[in-house]
Formats: sequence, structure tokens, C-alpha cells
Amino acid sequence: MSDCKTIDPLITPYVDGDIDAAGRTAVDTHVGACPPCHSRVSAERAVRDLVRTRRGDVAADAAPDALRARCTALGAAAAMSPGASTGARGVTGERAFAGARAVTGTRGFRRAIKPLAIAAGVVLAAGGVFVYQATDRSTRLLAAELAADHVKCFGVVNSLLGTDANAAAVEQVMSDVFGWQMHVPEPTGEGLELIGARPCLYARGKAAHLMYRHHGQPLSVFMLPQLARPGKRDETVEVLGHEAAVWSKDGRTFVLVAREPQAEMQRVVSVVQQSLH
Amino acid sequence: MTTSFEAEALGSLDSLYRTALRLTHSRADAEDLVQDTYLRAFRSAAQFTPGTNLRAWLFTILHNASRNRARDRARDHIDVDSEAVERAAETMSTGIDPAATPESLLLNDTLTPDLQAAIDALPPAFREAVWLRDVEEFSYAEIADMLQVPSGTVMSRISRGRRLLFERLHHLRPAHV
Repeated sequence: MSDCKTIDPLITPYVDGDIDAAGRTAVDTHVGACPPCHSRVSAERAVRDLVRTRRGDVAADAAPDALRARCTALGAAAAMSPGASTGARGVTGERAFAGARAVTGTRGFRRAIKPLAIAAGVVLAAGGVFVYQATDRSTRLLAAELAADHVKCFGVVNSLLGTDANAAAVEQVMSDVFGWQMHVPEPTGEGLELIGARPCLYARGKAAHLMYRHHGQPLSVFMLPQLARPGKRDETVEVLGHEAAVWSKDGRTFVLVAREPQAEMQRVVSVVQQSLH
Repeated sequence: MTTSFEAEALGSLDSLYRTALRLTHSRADAEDLVQDTYLRAFRSAAQFTPGTNLRAWLFTILHNASRNRARDRARDHIDVDSEAVERAAETMSTGIDPAATPESLLLNDTLTPDLQAAIDALPPAFREAVWLRDVEEFSYAEIADMLQVPSGTVMSRISRGRRLLFERLHHLRPAHV
């Protein structure tokens, strides 16, 4: 007959009925002759039955309505984004992370344009009710999330938009949507070229996403309103193969995401810092 | 408006929220964690294999997000190392008095608030395992995936969690007659 030590690890799967025939027989035989192990089986079974019988009462909390609304909005935005529609999920997820261009035909892009516009509207509408609780979010997590957005948005934009966004139009939108009086950095010899802007959903808030090319390479500037990061210093972190410079000013936080050598990164950050307020 | 993937995923909202509450002990943090879970899930929807268990997949994302947050917030070393959890368990009393009153009485005598409190008082690793198994009814393999520990560790955590619950509830019984 098996000893208690070999039977012990079998008790839980035995009680759960998740054990093979040989194991079951071994436990049956042992507990028939060993009162302490018999007692352990009874005790474990009693607790298991108790929790399972009361699971409806123990797990009675329902998700708050506000949380349900926010998650539903996320689902709606995801369902309408071009990446999620009709099997063309190529621009999101790992493939975008790997830097692969979206593999979709021209017709696919054309169909995708309208849903993108709607999705941006939904995201903004949903974003308006969120309040930032940024104290517990580390700079690194913030940078990682935004680097992911950078990759994703460029995946979409590469397919949808040409270059040459209108700086005045972008400034107008930023003023209307975020109450942010800003000036798009001038392209004067810095190799910086504005290609677009869109509101981006970031965690619990809305963020502005300005998309540039810097000497042809994608570069993003995110502006997060109402995010002051008290006590946290400006820093540059490396995430997802990108550099992300994070700084805060006047109750706003800025994150610049690019793939640049360190010296070049510092230069472009200082250019952007001087022109964006 | 939403596709069936998003709609089906949202069907797990209540159980994700309840589990997040057990993980965080705070309504605000639980809401945060669940929203983060859906954000990640919708973003990586392409990685979900249709036909597999969507609910288990969402719970795995929830636990990954929760681990990332714990790691992220940690000023000190956060101990999620399973070996350390097992060692800690060895030092806990798990002895059960064979002469105790019949175990079947536990079911009738235990008040739900006491059961709730006893579950909440379990060490986190054990609470998590018992909760996922007995309340959310996942398989050992699914739980092992979520917690990123071997199946054997899942079983031993469930086992120790249940035994600790038994002791706690047993002592709460009005009279040991």
C-alpha cells in the first residue's frame, strides 16, 4: 500500500474527479485504511463543495455600469478599426510590431478609410468621460503603450494617408478637441515633416497623436492632457525597439517615440520641446 | 455594432471584474485592470485562436496585466516566485484534527460572509488558485497557463488553499460539539 506522502499530492485531483483510474484506486485503497488521510479527503471535499455551492453568493459583485460602458466603447472602437474588420487584422498586433507593412490591397484601404474616421469619433466620445489616474502608471509602461500606438498608427497611416498634412488644420483640431494652443514644429531644415494627427485612445484618457517623418523615419509626438506626473523626472527609455522621451510641462505630458541614435534623439526632442507648449 | 468576438469577450466582464477585485482588493484598481485587459485583448484579437476558450484567454491577459503592474509598481522585490510560496506553505499549519466534527456539517454551518472573509484572508497565491478552480471553474491546465506555473504547483496551491479554508471555517463554527 502507498504511503501518505505519495497519496497526498493525489488528494486534490481525486476530490476534483480529475485523476486517472490507477490514481483513483490508489487513493481509495489508502484512505480506506488511513484515518488521517481519509479525514484530509473529507475536509478538502467539504470545502470544495462549500465554495462551489456558494459560488453565486461569493461571486455576487457585478461590474459597475461605467466600467461596462467604457469596455463596450473599446470593443466598438476595435470592431470598427480597419485592423479588426473583415479579417484584415494585419495592421495590429505582432505584424505591426515586427515592422511589417500591412498586406492589404488598394480596395481594402479604400474600404478602411471610413471606419477609421468613425472609430476616431467613437474613441473621442468615449475618451471624454475618462479621468486620468496616472499616479500609479510608471513612465516605462506609459512609454511602452505609446510606442505600441506609434507602431500601430503608422501602420494604418502608411496605408491610408499621403504626406503633407496641413499644419494649420492640425493646430485647429488640437485647439478644438484638446483646448491646446500649439504650433506644429516648422519643417525648417530639421528634416521634420508633419504627416498627420489623430486623437488616440490611451488607457483611460484621450491623447493627441502627432505623426511626423524625421528624415523619412516615422516619429510620433503624443500629448496627454491632464497628466502631470508629479515627482517624476523627464527621461528617455528604450521600449519595443524604440526610444521614448517623456517630459511634462504645465500639467501636460509629452512622449516622443522614434527610432533614432541617442544624439539625434536628443536633438529632435529639443526641437520639439521648443516648438510645442 | 460590435463583431461577435468583441461581444463574446464582453460577456466575461462580470467574472473578470470579480476576479480582479480578489487580485487587487480595490474597486478602482479592479476597474483599471479590467479595462486594461479589454484594451489589450482587442488590440491583440488577431492572436486569439478561434475555437479555443475565449474566457480562459481573457483571464490569462488579466493575470499578465496584473503581474506587469505588480512588477511595475514594485519598489521592493515582489515575491511571485512559486518556490518561495511553496516554502512558506510548509511552515504553515495544515494539520487537521481527525477527531473533529464531521466535515459535512461545514456546508450547513458556514455563513456566506464568513466564507467570503476566509477566502479573502488566504495568502494571495492560494486564494487565486482556489478562486480560479472552484468559483470560475477553470481546469488545472488553464490555471497553470494564467499563473505561469506548472500544473503540479496549481494543484498543490489549491490543496493548501482548501485546507487553510477548512481550518479557518472550522474554528469559526459556533460550537465544537
